[in-house]
Amino acid sequence: MIGQLSRHTPVIVQGATGRAGSAHVRRMKDYGTNIVAGVSARAAGTSVEGLPVFADCRAAVAATGAQVSVVMVTPNGVLAAIEDALGAGIKLMVTVAEGVPVHDALRAGRLVRDAGATWVGASTPGLAIPGEMKLGFLPNVSLRPGPLGMMSKSGTLSYETGYRLATMGLGQSIWVGVGGDPVKGVRFPDLLDLFLKDERTRGIVLIGEVGGSEEEDFADALAKAKNPKPVYALVAGRGAKEGVAMGHAGALTFGDVGTFTSKQARLEAAGARVFATIEDLIAACGRDYLPK
Amino acid sequence: MLLIEADGKALLQAAGIATPHGVVAAELAPKLKIPGPWIVKAQVPVGGRGKAGGVVRCETEADVNTALKRLIGATIKGHQIQACLIESAVANSDEYYLSLMIDPAQYGVRVTLLREGGVDVEQNKPSAANNRLCVPNESEIASAIRKLAASEPPARQSTLIDTGEKLARLFMQRELMLAEINPLFVGANGCVAGDAKIVIDLDAVHRQPELAALIEARPAVYPDAIRKLHDGFDYVEVDPDGEIGLLTTGAGLSMMLIDEMTARGGKPLNFCDIRTGLLRGDPTRIVKVLGWIGARPNVKVLLVNIFAGITDLAEFANLLCIALERTPAMKAPIVARIVGNGFDNARTIFAEKRPDIAVEEALPAALNRVDAILRGARP
Repeated sequence: MIGQLSRHTPVIVQGATGRAGSAHVRRMKDYGTNIVAGVSARAAGTSVEGLPVFADCRAAVAATGAQVSVVMVTPNGVLAAIEDALGAGIKLMVTVAEGVPVHDALRAGRLVRDAGATWVGASTPGLAIPGEMKLGFLPNVSLRPGPLGMMSKSGTLSYETGYRLATMGLGQSIWVGVGGDPVKGVRFPDLLDLFLKDERTRGIVLIGEVGGSEEEDFADALAKAKNPKPVYALVAGRGAKEGVAMGHAGALTFGDVGTFTSKQARLEAAGARVFATIEDLIAACGRDYLPK
Repeated sequence: MLLIEADGKALLQAAGIATPHGVVAAELAPKLKIPGPWIVKAQVPVGGRGKAGGVVRCETEADVNTALKRLIGATIKGHQIQACLIESAVANSDEYYLSLMIDPAQYGVRVTLLREGGVDVEQNKPSAANNRLCVPNESEIASAIRKLAASEPPARQSTLIDTGEKLARLFMQRELMLAEINPLFVGANGCVAGDAKIVIDLDAVHRQPELAALIEARPAVYPDAIRKLHDGFDYVEVDPDGEIGLLTTGAGLSMMLIDEMTARGGKPLNFCDIRTGLLRGDPTRIVKVLGWIGARPNVKVLLVNIFAGITDLAEFANLLCIALERTPAMKAPIVARIVGNGFDNARTIFAEKRPDIAVEEALPAALNRVDAILRGARP
C-alpha cells in the first residue's frame, strides 16, 4: 500500500476535530494529500477544514471509499481506533500518538496482521512521498523529491538529516517514520522489500536507535537480498544509560540486548555503512548521489 | 524501564512467587536477622551486575559490612549504587532460568525455560525444546510453560508449572515487557526466585497503580522515570559531572548529539526531549530543565537545539528568555542552535533580549562553538 500512495489516494483522518488534529488536516491538505473526510464520534455531522465528519470509519469509508487513515487520537485511544479502521476495511493506518501502552500495541499489531493491513506507528511523525503527499506531520522543509528511501525510528533526527540533505539538493523517494516504540506496526525489515522494488529509490537512509532488534533484523534481511541497494545508517544512543529508556520507550538497552555495538556489527556485516555523525552520512550521500 | 531487583522481587512476592529472605540496606547493615551465609547485591537497574562486581557472597557479618562499604556510593554502568539487597544464600538447589519476554516482530510472548541458569545463560541457544512463542494471554503462556516443563523430573514439574503460571498472570496483569528469573532455584521446598529482572512499560503506569507506587517510593533510584511521570517529558541525567547541558527537543536527535559530543571529547550532562510542540506558551518546562542543569556543578555550556518543523521559533525564543530570567542558577554561556519556522524573528528576539546567546542555524557550527567554549573554560 505504501508504494502505491499518490496525491490521488483518498485519506480519512480519525480524531480530525481536536486542536492538533484539525491543524494537521490543514497542513496535510496544503501539502497535497487528498484528505476526504474526518472521523469523530463526538463531532459527527459537523465539518473540519471543509470536510465532512463521520461518526466512525465504516460511515466514512462508505461515503468516500478511502483505504488509508491517519489516526490522531490519544495514546489510550489508539487500539480502539485501529479496531474501528480495520472493521471498515482500511488497509493502511498511520498513528501519531506518543506513549501507546505496549500491551495495547501487541493487540493492535496482531489485529492488523490478521487483517492483512499495514500499520505505521504507534508513535510515528508520519510518512511521505515527497512532492506528492504526506500522512502525519513530517516538516515540509525536510521533504524534497529525490532518490533516497528514508526509514527512521526518530522524528527529529530524520528531520535534521532530511533537511540537510534537501538543502544540499538531495531528496527522498519514500520517507517512513516507523517510530521509537518497542512494539510497533511496520518495522525496518518490513520496508526493505518495498525500497528495493521501488524504482525511484536508489539508496536507503536508515536512522536507527539503540534498543530492540529492528536494525539487526533489517541487516539480516539485507544480507539475504538478491539485488541490494546502498544503505547509509545512523544508530543514535551509543551513550545511552543502560536500563533507562532515552525518551523513546523502545530505546532501552539491558545487558547485551539492543546495544550500538551489536547493531553496528550486524549492519556493517550486511554491507551497510554506519556513520559516527550526521555530517559524515550527509557527506557520503552527497558524494554518491549529487551530480558530479 | 528496568526495575531494581528488590522491586522486581516485590512484584514476584505479590504474585505468590517465593524469594530468598532478604533486607535492603542503604548503609552499613544493622544486626542481621536473616541466617547466613549471605549474598550482597548492588541495587542498580542494569544487567551483568555479577560480572561487574556488584554481587558478593559473604560468610560473616563483617564480610557483609565490608561489601556494603565498598558497593554503596560506587557506580555500575553509569548508575550510582544507592542500596544493596542482603539475602540468605540458597543452598541445595538446582538453578533454572525462566523468562517471559515480548517478541515485537511476532506480536507474541516468548517463554523460555532452561535447566541451567546462572551468569552465562546467554550462551544457551534458544530451541524448540526450551523456548516457545505464544499469543499474549495468560492461559496460552501457562500452557507453553506446561509443555516446556514436561521433560523435567515429575517432582519438579508441578512447582515449575505453578511458578510459571503465577509469572504469566503477573506479566499480563501488570503489562510487563520482560519478566526474567535467573537463577530460579528449584529444591525440596519448591521454587525460589534468586533474581528478578523486570522491565515495566512506563506508558502503562498511569493504569498500573502498584507499579506507580514502586517508582514513587524510590525517587533516588528512578529520578528519570519520576520526572517523566510528573512532568510529561523526558530528561535523563547521563553524567552528573557532565559539562554540557542540553535543552533539546526530539529523542533521536538528542541521543545523537550526546554521541557526537562524546566522540569529540565533550562530557554531556543530560538527555532531554522537551517537546516544543507541547509548550503552548508556558515556560514551565524550560524553567524546570534549566533549573536541573543549573544545579549541576560542572556545567560549562548550555546547548539549545530546536528543529522547528511546526513550532514557531519566535515564540520559543521568548519563552527561553523568560525562563532564563526565572533561573538565576543557569549561569553558563549559551549556544542556541535553532532552525526552521520563524528563525529570523527568533534571532532578532535573542539579539534584543539576550545578546550574550550565540545563535547558530547550522548544527556543525553550533557544535564548534560548544567546543570553543569548553576549550576556553579549561585552563
